Amino acid sequence: MFEQQLVNGLTLGVIYALIAVGYTMVYGVIELINFAHGEVYMLGAFFCVTFITALGMPFYVAIVAAMLCCALLGILLDVVAYRPLRNAPRLAALITAIGMSIFLQNLAMIIWGSRAKPFAQEAVPAYLAETALEWSGVHLTWLQIFILGVALVMMLGLYLIINKTRIGTAMRALAQNKTAAALMGINVNFVISFTFALGSAMGAVAGVLVAVYYNTLYPTMGYVAGVKAFASAVLGGIGSVPGAMVGGVVLGVAEALGAGYVSSLYRDGVAYAVLIAVIIFRPSGILGRAVVDKA
Amino acid sequence: MEPLLKVENVTKRFGGLMALAEVSFEVRPGEILGLIGPNGAGKTTMFNCIAGVYKPTSGDITFAGKDGVVRTNGLKPEKMTGLGIARTFQNIRLFGALSVLDNVRVARHCRTSSNFFGAVLRTRSQKEEEKAIIEESMRWLEFVGLAKHALDNATSLAYGNQRRLEIARALATGPKLIMLDEPAAGMNPRETRRLVDLIHAILDAGVTVVLIEHDMKLVMHICQRLAVLDHGVLIAEGVPEAVRADPQVIEAYLGRGAAHA
Amino acid sequence: MLAKLKPVLFVLAAAALAYPLMPFSNDYLLHVVTLVLVYMVLAMGLNILPGFCGLLDLGFVGFYGIGAYTSGLLTIHYGMSFWVIVPLACLNGALWGVLLGVPTLRLVGDYFAIVTFGFAELVVLFLTNEIWLTRGPLGLPGIEPVSFDFTWLNPDWYFELIGEVPYFYLAVAMVAFVWLVMRRIEDSRLGRAWFAIREDTLAAASCGVNILRYKVIAFAISAGIGALGGAFYARWSLFLSPDMFKFWESFLVLCMVVLGGLGNIAGALVGAVVLIVLGEGLREILPILGLAPETRFLAYGLIMVLIMRFKPAGFFPAIATASARNPLIKDLKKRLAGYASGEKSGTAA
Repeated sequence: MFEQQLVNGLTLGVIYALIAVGYTMVYGVIELINFAHGEVYMLGAFFCVTFITALGMPFYVAIVAAMLCCALLGILLDVVAYRPLRNAPRLAALITAIGMSIFLQNLAMIIWGSRAKPFAQEAVPAYLAETALEWSGVHLTWLQIFILGVALVMMLGLYLIINKTRIGTAMRALAQNKTAAALMGINVNFVISFTFALGSAMGAVAGVLVAVYYNTLYPTMGYVAGVKAFASAVLGGIGSVPGAMVGGVVLGVAEALGAGYVSSLYRDGVAYAVLIAVIIFRPSGILGRAVVDKA
Repeated sequence: MEPLLKVENVTKRFGGLMALAEVSFEVRPGEILGLIGPNGAGKTTMFNCIAGVYKPTSGDITFAGKDGVVRTNGLKPEKMTGLGIARTFQNIRLFGALSVLDNVRVARHCRTSSNFFGAVLRTRSQKEEEKAIIEESMRWLEFVGLAKHALDNATSLAYGNQRRLEIARALATGPKLIMLDEPAAGMNPRETRRLVDLIHAILDAGVTVVLIEHDMKLVMHICQRLAVLDHGVLIAEGVPEAVRADPQVIEAYLGRGAAHA
Repeated sequence: MLAKLKPVLFVLAAAALAYPLMPFSNDYLLHVVTLVLVYMVLAMGLNILPGFCGLLDLGFVGFYGIGAYTSGLLTIHYGMSFWVIVPLACLNGALWGVLLGVPTLRLVGDYFAIVTFGFAELVVLFLTNEIWLTRGPLGLPGIEPVSFDFTWLNPDWYFELIGEVPYFYLAVAMVAFVWLVMRRIEDSRLGRAWFAIREDTLAAASCGVNILRYKVIAFAISAGIGALGGAFYARWSLFLSPDMFKFWESFLVLCMVVLGGLGNIAGALVGAVVLIVLGEGLREILPILGLAPETRFLAYGLIMVLIMRFKPAGFFPAIATASARNPLIKDLKKRLAGYASGEKSGTAA
C-alpha cells in the first residue's frame, strides 16, 4: 500500500515539477508570479485533444504541436500583457497575471464548454494503460513509466538548455541582474519571451500527461494544478529550477501519502498548508534565496 | 562633555564584504559633525547602522537619548526615531502621493498616541492631538520655508524644496540628533546657500547635526569637526583644518586623482 | 464641478432611499441593489490593504466566509440576535486576520499575496469538509432572518425583517457606518501611518511607524469589515454554502477596488456599482448568446488587464482626501490663502 502511494505520488510529483519550472523560471527572470501559467497547462491538454479529434493527428505528434502552441501562447502572454508593465509597480503586473488567468480560463469555457470531457482515448496507444511491472502488489503502468520518462527527459533537456547554451547563460545572467545583463548586450525582451516559451511548453506537456492519466480535462483544471505547482516552486525555493523539480516531487509524494493515511478530503489542503508553512518558516524554500522584507 | 552619540569599534559585513571595520567616533551635543570620504567609503552604511536600518556585525553604538544612555545596536528604525535620532535619505524618499503637510504630519507619529478608537470616535483628546500635530507640522514647515506649500502635493515641489521637506519631516519627529545624507546633492549654489542657513538654524533650535556631504567647500565651511572614512576604515577625526592637512586624508582623496582639490 | 453635481447626487440618493417604499418597487432590483451595498462594504474593507497600505490580499473572501459562517452557525445553534452576532463575527474575522497577519506580514508583497490566497482556499476546504459543523457542500439552510426583539419592553414587540425592503435599509446603514469609519481613519494618525507605509516603507519606519504592527492592524480591520459583510449576508440570504466563497469573489472585490482607484474610498463604491451591475447584465445577456453565465468572469479578467495596462492607478486615483474636509485643514487653508496674498514674495529661511 505504502509503495503504491509512493509510486502514485511520484508520478503526480513529476507532473507538478514540470509545471513548477514554468513558474520558477519566469519568477527568476522577471520576479512575477505568472498566475496564467496554470491556464497554459490546461490549454496544453485542450490543444492536444483538439489536434487529435479535429485534425486527426497521432498522439505523439499532437503533444509536440500542443507544446509549440503553448510556447507561442506564452510568448503572446508576455508580449501583450506583461511587457508593457515591465516598469510598473509589481502589484499591477500581479493583478494583470490574475486577470489573464481568469480570462484564459473563461475563454476555454466558451470554446470547449465548462463540463469535463474525456481524453481522446482512441488516439492514445493502448499499451500505455497496461501494467508494465507488478512487484508485491505495486502496480506500475506503462503510462506511469511514460510520464516519468517524459518528465525526466524534459528536465534533462531543460538542464542542458539552461547550463550549456548561450540563451541559457543569458537567462541566468538576467536572473542575477537585469540592468547589467542588458549592458552586456543581452536582448532582455527576447530572453524573457524565450523563458515564457520554454516554461509554457513544459506546462503543456504536463497538461497532456495529466489529462491522459486521469482521462479527463476541464477548463478549471489549471487552477488547482497551478496552485500546487506554485507551492512546489515555493517549496523548492522560487527562482531555483532544480528546487522546483525537487519541490514538485516532494509535494506529490506528500499529497499521496497524506491522502492515503490522513484524510483524502484534505488532499488539496496539503498543498496550501505546505505553501503557507514554507512561506512562514522558510521563505527561501529548500534551495532558494531569502525574501523577507528588509525594511 | 558627555557625547550625544558614541560609535565604538563598529564593524559591518555584508557576506564577505567588509563595509565598516572597527569604526569609532563620537558626536558631541550642539555640534555639526561632517562624515566625509570618497564614494563607497561606507558613510551611508554608517548612517544606516546608527539609524537602525542595519544591525552592526560587532561593536557598540550608544545614544544619550531622553531616557539616558542607551546601547542602540539592533534597535529598529522606528525605535531609533523614538529615541531622538532622525535622518534624511541620499535619494529623496518622500511620501509622493501625500501633501507636503501630510508628509510632516506622519513624522509626528512617534510623539503622538491616538489609535483606531480615537480616530473613529473622534474623542476630545484625539481632536486636541490632531490640532497639535498640525500646529507642530506647520511650525517646521515654516522653519524650512515651505509653509505656503503645505497643501500642495509633495512631488510638485522643486527639487531643492523636496530636500527641505525631507529635513522638515525629520525635524518634526522631535529629534536630539539629525543625520543628513548628502543634503546639498543636486542643489544649485543659491539653494546650497539657503541650506547652510537652514543647518545653522537647526543647530540654533537645539538639534545636533551629522551630515554626509561631498561638497568639500560646504563641509569645511560649516562643520565644527570631521570624521573621515575610507574603505570602511576611519582614517581621521578632528577639526577641519587638521583633517585637511592629514596626509592620509589627502591620499584618500588626491590619490584617486586630483579632481577634488 | 463636483460642487455643481452635489445637489444632483443628493436628489439621486434621496430618490434611491425612497424607492423601496414606492408601490411600484421591484424585488429583483432591490435584491441587486442590496447586493451592490454588500459589495460596497467588502470593497471598502479590502481597500485598506492594497489601497491604504500597498499590500495585495488575494484571500479577502476567506474573512467574508468566516463572518458569514460565524453568523449563520451562531444563529442556528444558539439563536443569537443579529445585533450580538455582528460584533462577534467582526471580532472573529479580525482574530483570524491577526493570526494570519503576524507571521506573514513580514514577507514581501507577492509572498504575502500567496499566503492570503492559500488561507482563503483552506477556509473553503474547511467549510466543505467539516460536515459536522457546516454541513459541507450541502450548505447551511434555515438561517433565521434579522429580528428586533423588544419583548422585554412589551410582549408584542417582536419584529422579524421579511422581504427585501428592510434589508435594503439595513445594508444602507451598514455602508454608511463603514464609510464613516473609513473616512475618519483616512484622516487620522492611523490612516497617515498606513499611507506612509504604502508610499515608502523605510521612510515610514524612519518617521517612527512600527511597520509590522500597523500592517497587522490594517489586516485585522480589513478582515473585520469583510466579516461584517459576511455576517449581514448570512442573515439576508438565509442560506450559505462553501462555493459562495471561492477565489473569484476575492478577485471580484479586488477588481472593484482597483477600478475605482486604489485607496479611494468613493472609488471603491463606484467599482462595486459598476461591476455588480455589469455582472447582473451579463448574467442576463450571456444565456441569450448561448454561453454559460459564469463566463462573465472573462469580462472581469479582461477589464483588470486593460485597467492595469492603461490606468494602473484606477479611474479615480486619490488618497488621503478625507482630511480636506476636516475643519482644522479648512482653517489652515484660509490662513495660507491670507498668508500668500499678504506676502507675495514668500519666505526665505
